[in-house]
Amino acid sequence: MLTEPPPGQACGTAPNAPAVLDAGALARLGELDPTGKGGIVKRVMQAYVGSMDKLLPQLGPARQAKDFVAIRHVAHTLKSSSASVGALSLSGRCAQIEALIRQDRGAEALTLLDEFLDECASVRLAAAAILAG
Amino acid sequence: MNIDTPFALDGADALPPKVLLVDDDEVNLIMTSMALTERGFVVTQADGGERALDILSGWQPDIVVLDAMMPGMDGFEVCQRLRTQAVYENTPVLMLTGLDDDASITRAYQAGATDFFVKANQWSLLAGRLHYLLRASRTRIELERNRAKLARAQDLARMGSFEWRRPVLYVGQGTLTLSPEGLRVLGRGHHEQPGLRGLLRMVTREERRGFLRMLNSVAQSSAVLTTDVPVLLFDGRQRIIHVEAEPEFNEHGHSLGYTGIVQDVTDRRQAEDKIRHLANFDSLTGLPNRRQLQWRLERALEHAKRLEHACALLLIDLDRFKVINDTLGHAAGDELLIEVAKRLRGCVRHSDQVMEGSLEAAGARSHRTLEAVGRLGGDEFVALLPEVGGEPDAERVAQRILEVMREPVFVAGQECFVTASVGISMYPRDGETVADLMRNSDVAMYAVKSQGRNGSAIYSPMLAGRGREKLELESALHKAIEREELVLHYQPKVDVRSATMVGAEALMRWARGGQLVPPGDFIPLAEESGLIVPLSEWALREAARQAKIWQTNFGFSDSIAVNLPNRLFERSDLVDHIHNCVTTYGVPHSAIQLEITETGLMKDLQNVIPSLHRLTELGIEISIDDFGTGYSSLAYLTALPIAELKIDRSFVRDLGVTPQSSAVVTAIIALARSLSLRVIAEGVENLRQMEVLHRLGCSVMQGFLFCRGVPADDLERWVEQTILPRKAPWIVDALGATPLRARSTSGKA
Repeated sequence: MLTEPPPGQACGTAPNAPAVLDAGALARLGELDPTGKGGIVKRVMQAYVGSMDKLLPQLGPARQAKDFVAIRHVAHTLKSSSASVGALSLSGRCAQIEALIRQDRGAEALTLLDEFLDECASVRLAAAAILAG
Repeated sequence: MNIDTPFALDGADALPPKVLLVDDDEVNLIMTSMALTERGFVVTQADGGERALDILSGWQPDIVVLDAMMPGMDGFEVCQRLRTQAVYENTPVLMLTGLDDDASITRAYQAGATDFFVKANQWSLLAGRLHYLLRASRTRIELERNRAKLARAQDLARMGSFEWRRPVLYVGQGTLTLSPEGLRVLGRGHHEQPGLRGLLRMVTREERRGFLRMLNSVAQSSAVLTTDVPVLLFDGRQRIIHVEAEPEFNEHGHSLGYTGIVQDVTDRRQAEDKIRHLANFDSLTGLPNRRQLQWRLERALEHAKRLEHACALLLIDLDRFKVINDTLGHAAGDELLIEVAKRLRGCVRHSDQVMEGSLEAAGARSHRTLEAVGRLGGDEFVALLPEVGGEPDAERVAQRILEVMREPVFVAGQECFVTASVGISMYPRDGETVADLMRNSDVAMYAVKSQGRNGSAIYSPMLAGRGREKLELESALHKAIEREELVLHYQPKVDVRSATMVGAEALMRWARGGQLVPPGDFIPLAEESGLIVPLSEWALREAARQAKIWQTNFGFSDSIAVNLPNRLFERSDLVDHIHNCVTTYGVPHSAIQLEITETGLMKDLQNVIPSLHRLTELGIEISIDDFGTGYSSLAYLTALPIAELKIDRSFVRDLGVTPQSSAVVTAIIALARSLSLRVIAEGVENLRQMEVLHRLGCSVMQGFLFCRGVPADDLERWVEQTILPRKAPWIVDALGATPLRARSTSGKA
């Protein structure tokens, strides 16, 4: 379990790499459950991972079919939940994809998907670490 | 509750607000739910649109928080669907949108969302927004409720509001807007706005021009408007609408128009009219009553004074109305009064208009509307002629009145003839005040009565003195029976041989205002006016009643003699009446004896004889009163079914003074004996008279010597204290000094 993370300190696999999950955001998440009885961080992480597991498999067929509505939905959903768990970079990527699709620039959005999936993978790892800890 | 929340102390926050939180993103759902729970909300979660609607179909939250973007049914659609349901019409819905998503914000409002909130983890802000929306919602509900209450109250009061805006540039009729309640008052549909023109068309034709004129003048001066106006609704009902409005001004003091109310006051007006009518009109005949007449007469006199013309007051009193009332009953009497009222009304230009306040408003000839026939009460009516040229005008109306009475009136299934006596007084000659004119018309009316009724007379000062008292007496005697002012006194008939009471004579007395009126003062008057008939009938009833009381109290088994005028013997119902009287009180027919004067009997012998026979057959004895003073035909006397002769008091008075009187008494006694009639002497005042009568063979007597005419109770006491203990000078004398004593006492022994 993560206790007293140094401010702005990374929390992930590589101690020196930029933090995948923002410590401040995680702290705010913890504040929702001051007594810790609700196990809020773990519950949210579990929900987040579950949501990823549900959404990401939709992305392959959508990409193939250029189903921008489906892609946008995935991006939109992960945008806010990623921000909530502190995956700020991923959230930003989601916002970018969503905005492009909204502006009818779907093709451009498609080019961002690979990076998006990579980021998803590293966030998932960080989340798994928290769940394991 | 959490004190962090700024709205926590809101009045209606007694229960924690219930929130339905809808979001397809589980992360968001958990976090938001947690944050709101921490801030005192009770959160129910739904992970999608369908699930949300499902929950909402069975349970109602205070507020719904909806994620806008969701797969499947999104937030917009959920919101839209909610708004179509009556229960969710006004439930606050907060839509969660993205930060840069302007399109969603617009769509959110279009879908009926109450507000939007940008998704961010700013929990206190979210909670604050929710509290704000809840409070606004409560205020709104309260407002709706108050509006509904007001509408209900207005409906109950048949009231509604309106607003009128002045026309732009003073062209046209401006804009009139009525509230739904106002439209209802006027019987118009919910969405109609008939406008001023449309409303004016509803005002009854007669009133429209005047109403419009008033509206213009009010609007020109920006005055307050208060008026009642009759309107005709589309369904044909006529209603009275009360309109009340106040002008509105802008900040520069320019008039903008009016706001006000319309109210259906028909019922109230009808009630007011009814009250006014009841206060001013006689309920039986519908004619103006005394109060209204008084008012009209006062106004008429004011007017006559100012314009210096004459007016006339006719007092109309029905003749013998009481007889009709007594014989046919009150219902028939009322019927008669109604018919008479109808006829009288036709004799003048009768106006039913109720008037109070000033006449001036109604114009110069307005005093004409005062003309009317009214009912003072009982059988007394008044005709008021507010302007006449002179006496002939008033007399003409009086003649018309007498004429319309000539037709028979059908009441209680039979024809009745009724006449009237009309007394006329003229302003200014016969009086300048209401009281004077009323009194003098009364004097004139009684003059007609005393001259035989069924006529009219104009007042003159000469009438006022003559017979005034007598007229008043007659009028009072009219009411004496119903006021129970009449009493019977009784004078015992005594048989001096045995010193016993053998009967009594009933003597009518009139206790008028605490004083006894001597019979000589009212019996002739009663005879003259015909009142003697009801008076005698009453006396018969009363005598029968008294006989019963005495029978019970001291075994009285003799008869009470009642004096009857001969005209009563002519009546076919006399026998029935007496029969009814005695059976009512359970005494034998012989309890009543009838006295008829010799003069009365002889006056109309042929008509009286049949009655005498029938009465005698029933056991009712007839006694001839005042015998010796008239001119009896002795031949008839033998054939008449009579039982007793009563020696007139004038002969008794002179007994022992003049020889003639004892000769007459002797002859009467002899006659009686030969015809097998009893004989009795009246007016016996001293022992000497008693002795002489006794000696001549008449032992039954009455007079002051024995007892005056006294009330029934006193007579009873007299029997107890004088007859039974045998304590009186005449008893000693009678029983001690006569040759008959031995027979009498031995008979007794």
